[in-house]
Amino acid sequence: MSNNKTSSNGSAKDLIENIQSNFEKQGYICNTHIATAIFLSQSLGKPILVEGPPGVGKTELAKATAEWMEKPLIRLQCYEGLDEAKALYEWKYGKQLLYTQVLKDKLNQIVSKSDSLESSIENLNNFDDIFFSEKFLEPRPLLKAIESENGSVLLIDEIDKSDDEFEAFLLEILSDYQVSIPEIGTIKGKVKPIVFLTSNNTREIGDALKRRCLHLYIPFPDPFLEEKIISSRVPEIDKNLKIQLVNFVQGLRNLDLKKLPSVSETIDWARSLVLLNVKTLEPSLVRETLNILLKFQTDIDVSDPEIDNLIEKSKK
Amino acid sequence: MVDFLRDFIHILRSSDLRVSTSESIDAMNVVSEIGLEDRSLLKQSLSFSLAKTLREKEIFSECFDNFFEENYMNINEDKLPQKNNEKDSEINDPDALDKNENSLEELYNNSDRTSLMTAMALAARDANLQDIRLFTQVGMFTRKIFDEMGLEKLNNDIFQASREGNSKREEDLKNIRENLRLEIREYIENQVKLRTSNTGKQLREDALSQMRLTQADKSDYKIMSGIIKKMARRLISVHSRRKRKSQRGLLDIRSTIRANQEYDGILFETVWKKTKVDRPKIVALCDVSGSVANVSRFFLMFLHSLTEILPNVRTFAFSNKAGEVTDLFENKDIEVAAAETLLLNGGGSTDYGQAFVDLEGLLENNIDRKTTVIVLGDARSNYGDPRCDVLKTIQEKSKRILFLNPEPKSVWGTGDSEMLRFVPYCSKSKVCSSLFDLERVVDDMLRSSI
Repeated sequence: MSNNKTSSNGSAKDLIENIQSNFEKQGYICNTHIATAIFLSQSLGKPILVEGPPGVGKTELAKATAEWMEKPLIRLQCYEGLDEAKALYEWKYGKQLLYTQVLKDKLNQIVSKSDSLESSIENLNNFDDIFFSEKFLEPRPLLKAIESENGSVLLIDEIDKSDDEFEAFLLEILSDYQVSIPEIGTIKGKVKPIVFLTSNNTREIGDALKRRCLHLYIPFPDPFLEEKIISSRVPEIDKNLKIQLVNFVQGLRNLDLKKLPSVSETIDWARSLVLLNVKTLEPSLVRETLNILLKFQTDIDVSDPEIDNLIEKSKK
Repeated sequence: MVDFLRDFIHILRSSDLRVSTSESIDAMNVVSEIGLEDRSLLKQSLSFSLAKTLREKEIFSECFDNFFEENYMNINEDKLPQKNNEKDSEINDPDALDKNENSLEELYNNSDRTSLMTAMALAARDANLQDIRLFTQVGMFTRKIFDEMGLEKLNNDIFQASREGNSKREEDLKNIRENLRLEIREYIENQVKLRTSNTGKQLREDALSQMRLTQADKSDYKIMSGIIKKMARRLISVHSRRKRKSQRGLLDIRSTIRANQEYDGILFETVWKKTKVDRPKIVALCDVSGSVANVSRFFLMFLHSLTEILPNVRTFAFSNKAGEVTDLFENKDIEVAAAETLLLNGGGSTDYGQAFVDLEGLLENNIDRKTTVIVLGDARSNYGDPRCDVLKTIQEKSKRILFLNPEPKSVWGTGDSEMLRFVPYCSKSKVCSSLFDLERVVDDMLRSSI
């Protein structure tokens, strides 16, 4: 067994690096931590629950994975009141109605052959009823992901926004990759989809759900990683400006703010600074563009006195 | 591998990290995917399946570092093959055990710390060290492990040396014995720290939640606010589900017909009316003078931890004058807010009459039939006018008044306690002296208000 391990370890490390470099090619810069999580979820066939502050690329991670594996991304956005009919399946009522119309005509034929009541019931029993069958099933995201022939990447976004009931109902899907439809039976997927759940932690996710998932926490990136992300997303940015900008944002995150600036906001800011043809950070300019980074007036007020200080620091 | 994981998970569990069986199976799979060679990779990977919140990840990281530093210095090179050897020897080759004993002296003299640690870990396993619970057991386990590692042989050698008059060797061996004993002791002490750091805490938490809050010590505040958060989480999960259930009302026939027009008027889909859940409005008036300050402090913290299911809470604190503290709690960390409340409003001599008048003035017309007014205090008004008439008007305007008194019922009405005069105006008056009581009271209140 130990031999086995050594060999698999070698390849595990390679595979993780492989994932990382592939993501990088698509412009999704991540550390080994994230790549390891992806690797494990693939090899163990387990869903990943991704948590972290908003705007650190939780949803992007799923997109990057889908692109890398060349599988379709099926996305389910959660909200309060989301239920089975919208997430899993729905009957095609209109077609079922039409079917009953057709059935009416057919029924006469079937029943007319027999003369006694018993035999007509017998005939009716033998008659293949498709009222509740997969033909009239309208698959919603979850069922689609399970049914897909070549596998898929299923993204269940912002699971914390959904109700407790919905969470409970996800359990079957996440542990066995199967769906029970009362009228038909159990539908089991041929290929396990790769499942991502994201959460912003607006409410505590149930233990049962957590137990079934690998748990990945993505924090705000460290300066080094953030610089890499910026140069990948905004390649035309000046090198000095990039370092200043990242340091400045990292400094902002240490302040006591209502909503900390996220990576996506750093990227937006970098883009606008490039558009404005800025070479180095100046207090007046930062004050004018700060609303790109901070989305609350109170946050802007709080950070205002610190700006000169932060710029000073970021230039070192 | 199984052994080390089992041990590690055992330690995680004892550090207040709930690891389920299915998660340990996941961890097993993770290890067989990743292997044991790369420590940091292993740590990352295990954290995905064993620690599922940010707090848990911190605990996990600490445990992992401690565990691997102490126990398995060289897990892949020394531990695994040695374990196999030993297993073989137990079954096939009784002589091998002697070999093991021989090596105790050599083991020490070679001054190879890793193999020493490995031998110790193995002996510890055989001595069931994982069952250690209390600090007082250290001595016993030291002896057990020492025996396991071959103390007898060493003692014999010492005895032999002294009989042969080889005092130098005797001295050396005695030194070795002493040093080894110290090593083992230290090892066990570390293990105790690692494994029992939390059982003590759990006992303490249980005790604290039952204890009378008036006697709570400052040093326990931190643990207690942890308990409060736990209680709040529990109540939130219980009551948010109840709330949702009660939201569905009767069948809305008109909308049902309209929604089903596309199906030729055949009713496939049902549309339900929504019942309006009247969110309870809560006004809490807390006595923060010396005697009941602690109870109020925790009650306020508790109420403000429940914002998820109690969005309309207004809190007031008083000793002789009442002031609103809602903003404090909304804008600051609850622990800081609690401390500031006591500072701002505490200190004076209690005057319930004045407090009721102030409360009425501050609320003006904000008390209505949905409002629950909670008064928390010992009702000791320093012989001032209790102003029951004001309490009566509050009662008439509000849905109900709850009076929580930290004093036992037997002393209500004694001395300057006006409790018995307040009771008629309250729909409920309860003794509330511990965190446990607090939880029950709030639970009760939520149950009856939804």
